[in-house]
Amino acid sequence: MTDSFQNISVTSFPDITEIEFRAIDKKYLKVLLINVFLVFLVVFPVLFFADKKGFFELSRNSIWIYLALFLVFIAVLSIKTIGFKKRKYAIREKDVSYKNGIFFRSLTTVPFNRIQHIEIDQGPISRFFGLASLSVFTAGDSSDDLKISGLLKEDAQQIKEFISNKIDG
Amino acid sequence: MDNKEDFSQFRRQSQKGILVIYINILYKALKAFWFLLFLFIQKFSKIPEGKLVYIYIGVAALLLFFLIRAFLIFKNFQFKIANNHFILKKGILKKTNTSIPFDRIQNINFKQNIIQQIIDVHEVNIETAGSSKAEISIKALSYKEASALKQAITVLDNNSVATPSIETAEKPLLKVGFSALIKVSLTENHLQSLLLLFAVLVGFFQQINDLFDRLGKQDVLDNYITKNTSSLESNVLLIVGFLILLSVIAVLSSLVRVVLRHFNLTVYVKNSALEIYQGLITKKSVILKKDKVQHITISHNPIKKKLGISFITFKQAISGKVKKKQDKVIKIVGCKVIQVSAIKDLLFPDKNFDDLAQNFSDSYFRVRLYLRCVFILIIINMGLYLGLGNSSIFWINSLLIPIFIAATELSFKKRYYLFNTDVLIVGSGTIETHKTYLPFFKVQNVELKQTLFQAQKNVADIVFQTASGKIKIPCIHVEKAKQIYNYTLFKIETSQKLWM
Repeated sequence: MTDSFQNISVTSFPDITEIEFRAIDKKYLKVLLINVFLVFLVVFPVLFFADKKGFFELSRNSIWIYLALFLVFIAVLSIKTIGFKKRKYAIREKDVSYKNGIFFRSLTTVPFNRIQHIEIDQGPISRFFGLASLSVFTAGDSSDDLKISGLLKEDAQQIKEFISNKIDG
Repeated sequence: MDNKEDFSQFRRQSQKGILVIYINILYKALKAFWFLLFLFIQKFSKIPEGKLVYIYIGVAALLLFFLIRAFLIFKNFQFKIANNHFILKKGILKKTNTSIPFDRIQNINFKQNIIQQIIDVHEVNIETAGSSKAEISIKALSYKEASALKQAITVLDNNSVATPSIETAEKPLLKVGFSALIKVSLTENHLQSLLLLFAVLVGFFQQINDLFDRLGKQDVLDNYITKNTSSLESNVLLIVGFLILLSVIAVLSSLVRVVLRHFNLTVYVKNSALEIYQGLITKKSVILKKDKVQHITISHNPIKKKLGISFITFKQAISGKVKKKQDKVIKIVGCKVIQVSAIKDLLFPDKNFDDLAQNFSDSYFRVRLYLRCVFILIIINMGLYLGLGNSSIFWINSLLIPIFIAATELSFKKRYYLFNTDVLIVGSGTIETHKTYLPFFKVQNVELKQTLFQAQKNVADIVFQTASGKIKIPCIHVEKAKQIYNYTLFKIETSQKLWM
């Protein structure tokens, strides 16, 4: 590799991998699991009625469908539980980072001086646990910006203050 | 140019604007209700004489209503300039008052559709990058007014430039004549043109289908189609003829598309902006400010390369909710090598990219491309088998597989990246070759992505999110990816320049 990047001593750049990432609040796992439960709570009756009406045309083997759904349910629960530990965020002096995922790992960093606005929102279940999620928007196609879910409400508020001050200052 | 136009008071558009608005309303109404009109014309003879009068009166009343509406829209549309803001009042019943600070204005474009050309007025579009509602379109201004308005906004924008009289160097950087344009259009991606045409036709066909559905004549159409397709299957000659016809249509459609869009393409360099004029039926003039361009892509295909021409795509910032992303993509065609390097010099001055080595993706990228091909092949095979129920259809694979392999190898070979201290260059393409230039400080955020398989191979994708879309370097070594990641962040965070 002969690009000029090599000419600059790499050690002089702050390394994203060396900073300490913080885990999100443990209570958020409950929120995630409750959400999964709620989805399956809707899917099960739908499946049940579909089966009763003979929608699948395999009246004798319908047990397999329930079994498959149950397996999916277990799989989703365990993936959420394992993946939960991977959800981490970090805030440096000039940027905010978030990483997550087990099968599809991703690490995103948004520099403060590119942030357009910040949002804090709370779903009904999150509110019950006193949690909030912090979304950071940059210009352009804002679908892929950074969102940290499962922060304590106060923490989220604090981070928002911190970033807002940085942007204005 | 004597700047006598006074924008400090509220003022309206040119009087001719009423006509433009009126025709615009009529056009919209026609577009929405053309099938009703169709029905009406079909049943025209069945309507008794006596009732016809009412219909005429109704149509006349509607036209009059539209005229009044156009007049009211015109009457209520007022704009002025005050304290470095462009202020607009509009609305008949629901009044809106928009005010845009000059530094939010991304572009001021002139446009002329055929009617505006006839009555000699210009449409002025003021584009902003921020909120999507603040896109302003003034339908009719005389050329004098329009350019005065543009000057008033742009002059106040760059306070540093005291005299805007640097219009002496009026030699265009690029002027594409008709014969050159023909050359460009003949070497276009005809398959793409065909697909575009096809998409338009499908939309049209659906509308007709709906119509026939309503008329209850679905059977007639279906019969017609099946009768024709069955004869198609039996006749090889017809298929060949059909293919030839298709390719002729493809070439013709790209010809028409290119000529309509890029007719008389002229590019000037003024101050640090590019002024682009083009279009046949709808004339467009766009001013591309250097700072507002997020990234550019220089592309060519093998034939274009032989002829030494390429096209440049400029990407500007888009706001999240804007549907018409196409408007923010500006394309100029038929650039020779000198012009390409002139534009490169303008946008990235003092940068030398020639002596940089290309870095390629890890061979895992090839594996991924092949996996993707296998997946697509399986889908195609399944679809064809289920659709036609004939196992001889699998012979199509002997044709498809070599194409897929060639395409994969090409796109793997053409994927590379290189960078100097300020600009990242990403190469891509299959048959066409694209080269994207992205200054590091224009990046909005960076993402490092890795699947489990990639983690095993120790490679990762790096995605640069810009204000005008994503740019991806797939499957490079994790260590390198992290270095680039850190370096990009360092560049953004230490950059003093505004990204727009």
